[in-house]
Amino acid sequence: MKSITNFFKSIKLAIFLIIIITIASVVGTLIPQLRSAEEYAARYGQISELLMRLEITDLYHSWWFVALLILFSLNILVCTLTRLSSKFIRAFRPNLTFETHTLSAAKIQRKFKKSWSLDKSERELKKELRSAHYRIREERKDVAIHLLARKKILGLFGSDIVHLGLLIILIGGIISGFGGFRTNINISEGEIVTILNADFKLQLDKFETEYYPNGSVKDWKSTLTIIEDESPRLTKTIEVNHPLTYKGYVFYQNTVGWDWRNPTLEIWTTKTSDPSASIKTFLQLGEKGIWEEESLEFKVLQFVPDFIIDRNQVRTRSLEPNNPAAFIEVYEGEKKISSGWIFANFPDIAQMHSEEEANYKVVLKDIQAAQYSGIQMSKDPGVNFIWVGCGFLMLGLFIAFYLPPRDIRFILKDSDGKTEIFAAGRTVKSKLALEEEFNKIMNSLRSSE
Amino acid sequence: MNESTLFLITFVLYIIAAFFYLVFLFSKKESSAKTGLSVVTIGFFVHTLALIWRTIESGHAPFTNMYESLSFLAWSGALAYIIIEYKYKIRKAGPFMMLILISIVALASSPLMPKEAMPLIPALQSYWLWLHVSITLLGEAFFAVAFVTSIMYLVADSREKRGIASESAISSEKLDSISYRCIAVGFPLFTLGGLVFGMVWAYKAWGSYWSWDPKETWSLITWFVFALYLHTRIVMEWKGRRSALIAIIGFLAALFTYFGVNYLLAGLHSYA
Repeated sequence: MKSITNFFKSIKLAIFLIIIITIASVVGTLIPQLRSAEEYAARYGQISELLMRLEITDLYHSWWFVALLILFSLNILVCTLTRLSSKFIRAFRPNLTFETHTLSAAKIQRKFKKSWSLDKSERELKKELRSAHYRIREERKDVAIHLLARKKILGLFGSDIVHLGLLIILIGGIISGFGGFRTNINISEGEIVTILNADFKLQLDKFETEYYPNGSVKDWKSTLTIIEDESPRLTKTIEVNHPLTYKGYVFYQNTVGWDWRNPTLEIWTTKTSDPSASIKTFLQLGEKGIWEEESLEFKVLQFVPDFIIDRNQVRTRSLEPNNPAAFIEVYEGEKKISSGWIFANFPDIAQMHSEEEANYKVVLKDIQAAQYSGIQMSKDPGVNFIWVGCGFLMLGLFIAFYLPPRDIRFILKDSDGKTEIFAAGRTVKSKLALEEEFNKIMNSLRSSE
Repeated sequence: MNESTLFLITFVLYIIAAFFYLVFLFSKKESSAKTGLSVVTIGFFVHTLALIWRTIESGHAPFTNMYESLSFLAWSGALAYIIIEYKYKIRKAGPFMMLILISIVALASSPLMPKEAMPLIPALQSYWLWLHVSITLLGEAFFAVAFVTSIMYLVADSREKRGIASESAISSEKLDSISYRCIAVGFPLFTLGGLVFGMVWAYKAWGSYWSWDPKETWSLITWFVFALYLHTRIVMEWKGRRSALIAIIGFLAALFTYFGVNYLLAGLHSYA
């Protein structure tokens, strides 16, 4: 048991873990995370399998990285606790039994004689120290007085408060990792979505995109209503950076997209021999458009927002309308005279395959589709731990850096009615500042009569 | 008069300051270092005006693209340097610090950096933009000063060891202590702005306080390096050479977090 404690309380282990975790984190940013096996194979060849087996491809969630973090947490915990007990003693039951030779061995020290009596020396010294905001403890031994003057004792515990904060953050991280989840909801205006594992539903009342004068997106706004037990409970308009929180679930405005399931296509047809003869039709998928004068019929069979041919198959590359295309058929009476893809961006390269096609030009002029709002939903039970931990972290850092504890030990010795004064200052973090203060106190003491 | 004129004046003033500092480096005349400091200070005020101007003109925080962010970084660097210089009078850090400031400003004015103020994309419309970016960059500016004093430490230390240090030189011990002081300011600022405010904002905007995005991860790496600096120094009583080397690595990590991540690694922080 003791050897385990010794292992965990070692600062060398802490240094080792910090270095290992740092190096692992660097590796995780250099090797792209969570890609497909093919991509790794193409990128790294033979070692790709090894990378995946060692979970370097999902490094931050790999068993060994998590194990390192847990080991690090234990290390912080044990280090902090073992140091804490000696710090409590130092803070609340300090040792006043130091000797003159230990004082003389200190780096910041002074030794001189004053022609005052022991009592007067003590009085004057205390006055001097109090004006420099020191708190004093003392112990009298027949002809000698031991004084311990200290300030900013709280500073002793700065690092412990930092460590406490870090542990709370790590615990929060573990809770988030196990108990939290995230999912994307694509919801159109008027739609109601059932939330998984929750006893309420979400409805999108209104969605709008705001634009800047130059046309770029300023904001997306979704007005959401929470419906519980068939009745609306809460309505709020969310936008990017302003989410809605309900029963621990948080709804974020994330993105926007088009609902391509049922777009309305604006199709213009013109007679090649007579450009003034033309017709505009608005069609939905599967719907028929009729041009009575020419006894023509059109039918839209398929639509893709971002046309691409992949392995001889038409697919859409993305859900953005980058290259909208529709597959249409044209009938003259009962006879199909042409069929093929037409492109909104390239009206001149329709892919029709028939003899009669030259008689008519069919153009995909515009597409209307309902926009959906991309909402991210998350539930993260660890998040409050994070904020509390961050609070302790910052408080601890402030105390550790800006309230550095310092103390000055004194021994006043009576020597034939005069007083011999030994003094030594002690600090870890503010040597120069203490030295300055120490010298000031000593000089003013020496020069006063 | 507009923002770019003010920025240009700032640039010129920093160059003049660097010139005075260089004169000081060779002539060892204290007076030219003092003139240098006054010129940097004037430059800093003009720079402040330029940033305010930009904020009013664009209607948003002056660090939403690389040009603005570099300009703000240079401003923070000037501020950090002026504070440290008035406090500790490390005149010799002047020329090196000015060199860093001038390279940042030069990079900002290079044609590689688009200068137009663009309207803010939805994700950046938050007061956390102010808090997160300004405090982080201010922290990094103090790391930059620690970087300079650490390099000076290494030089001073090797000179002292070979017995060729001049009388007027700042002692290596003092440089070591100034590096620590800078990190003692930079580390809490970086923790607060970069990590804590970063997590709060990420939670508000992306729905997750930590995503192991490369920029986040590199901030953590930077933080770990400085944590290492503090632990080896305070608990293991490492000082001097090894401390200085860790501080140098720490600044390089911060630099990579700020700059390298954007150009070399893809992630959520695609704006700046």
